[in-house]
Amino acid sequence: MTQLHPQRLMKIAQFELVRLFLTKRGLLAVAAFTICWLLVLRYPIGQAVSIVSSPEMAELAKQVFGAIGLSKLLQWPEAELAMYWLIALYSFPVFCLFLCSDQVVGDKHRGTLRFLTLRATRTEILFGRFFGQMLILAALLVVTLFATLAVMAFRDVTLLSAGINRGAIILFYLLITVMPFVALMTLINTFASSARLAIVLAVLFFAVGNIIVSVLVWQLPVFSLLDYMFPGVQISEVAGQNSSVFNSVGIPVIQSAVLLFIAQRIFVRSSL
Amino acid sequence: MSTLIHAQSITKRYGNKLALDDVSFEIHKGAPVALVGPNGAGKTTLFSLLCGYILPSQGQLSILGSQPGSSALFGKLSALPQDAQLDPRFSIVHQLSFYGQLQGLSAAESKSEALRVLDLVGLSEVAHQRSDDLSHGMRKRVTIGQSLIGKPQIVMLDEATAGLDPIHAREVRELVANLSDEATFILSSHDLTELERLCNHVLHLDKGKLTEHQAKSSEQQTQRFMTILFTDNYEDIEQSLLSLSGVTRVYMSQAKEYVVEYQKSDKQIDIELLNFCYQQGWRYRQLVNGHTLENQIFTQEKA
Repeated sequence: MTQLHPQRLMKIAQFELVRLFLTKRGLLAVAAFTICWLLVLRYPIGQAVSIVSSPEMAELAKQVFGAIGLSKLLQWPEAELAMYWLIALYSFPVFCLFLCSDQVVGDKHRGTLRFLTLRATRTEILFGRFFGQMLILAALLVVTLFATLAVMAFRDVTLLSAGINRGAIILFYLLITVMPFVALMTLINTFASSARLAIVLAVLFFAVGNIIVSVLVWQLPVFSLLDYMFPGVQISEVAGQNSSVFNSVGIPVIQSAVLLFIAQRIFVRSSL
Repeated sequence: MSTLIHAQSITKRYGNKLALDDVSFEIHKGAPVALVGPNGAGKTTLFSLLCGYILPSQGQLSILGSQPGSSALFGKLSALPQDAQLDPRFSIVHQLSFYGQLQGLSAAESKSEALRVLDLVGLSEVAHQRSDDLSHGMRKRVTIGQSLIGKPQIVMLDEATAGLDPIHAREVRELVANLSDEATFILSSHDLTELERLCNHVLHLDKGKLTEHQAKSSEQQTQRFMTILFTDNYEDIEQSLLSLSGVTRVYMSQAKEYVVEYQKSDKQIDIELLNFCYQQGWRYRQLVNGHTLENQIFTQEKA
């Protein structure tokens, strides 16, 4: 049950892409996502330059961005990318909790997983689904990033070359940031009884978990280490481009590895 | 005879409930094997253990020398799990092709294999439909089709004909009979007549305990019993049949059905029995050489 065959792993991951782009429900999700992002591109990102560079707003922006540690973003000539970075960094983790809520739980409930486990190990199924979700998110990030670059190029085409370079870095950090959120949903999928319950459990994990940790830290400051079990703990620092490589890459990668390890141990022992 | 499945002292508990109690058996390559028993006897639990869906509490299971769920069994063992459904969001051929690819077939091979198995279950025309668009019986046949992808050595069908109309149930039986040379089928069903037609080896589970029966081939049994089913109720059948020479015991196994027990001899007791029925004006529907599977399993237990 624990073997990992790369070809089967990739087949399962590819199948997830098909699920999103070639099924009715998947296409509806993509349509809703597109509409939301069209609005985001039209207003916050489309207006980014005027917000950041207008004389009236510039001082206010500096004060606000400086206060929340985002002043470095104001120095980006690609203002659209700065806005995209902030919106994507905070919205994609939340979005992926919903998008990745049904990794194996639906198939388990329907019995489809019983067909699959006769042809792939449980580890391959679990990790394949995880990589599939990452591929989907990568595809959606790439599409939105290209749209943002197009908006930016429409304003000033000379920024395109530097924008593509910065966009690639942004894409990398965004993917790393969402990774533990997807892994958390992978873990919850191993014991939740439905996709809806998986979302509820994820929300409870963040809401109730944070309250409990805050109370513990209030009693004993050493418990602040528990903050590191929450995906996204580093987001506020990463947003302002102020964090170390360990914070922005190491923490989410370690979180993902731990969450996936626990998920795998549970999944290979669970009854189907 | 090569051993396909070897189970040694398998026990499965769900909390305090004992679903399988120290079950041991061997299944060899060859004719289909029946798994019978009342509801809650442990049939689906045994199927699930063989497929690797659950783990035993105790005991050892070996399938083709590997543990259930092992990747060594992919493509060699397949199953129709009870109530399992395909994903309604994809077309049937798309999913079956995907299963074929996981078994190591190329994209083109897996598509032609998907169409082949759909043809076997008589559903080529629904290949591009989704499972939600099909009737219950058609969905069942499609899932039987998925169990035949890649010509596996062992095919386990849990209640394969449940919910199928008589025509399609018969087609499934014929399919199993036709493919019995290529694969060893393990069939679970409540329809003992169906199993009797297909299987020699019967695993009977009751309250987690296993007993084994040889349904047809027991030399000793076929020479000592006959089961005759009459079209109507007739008077004094038992007493009248006892008057035949060599007959030692006659009893009614169920309505209009009698078991005739007789001593081994060179006489053609079956011919004499039929002549006797003709003389008495009794019309019969069926004569079984030996016990019916149903009587073998249930009536003998009561006796």
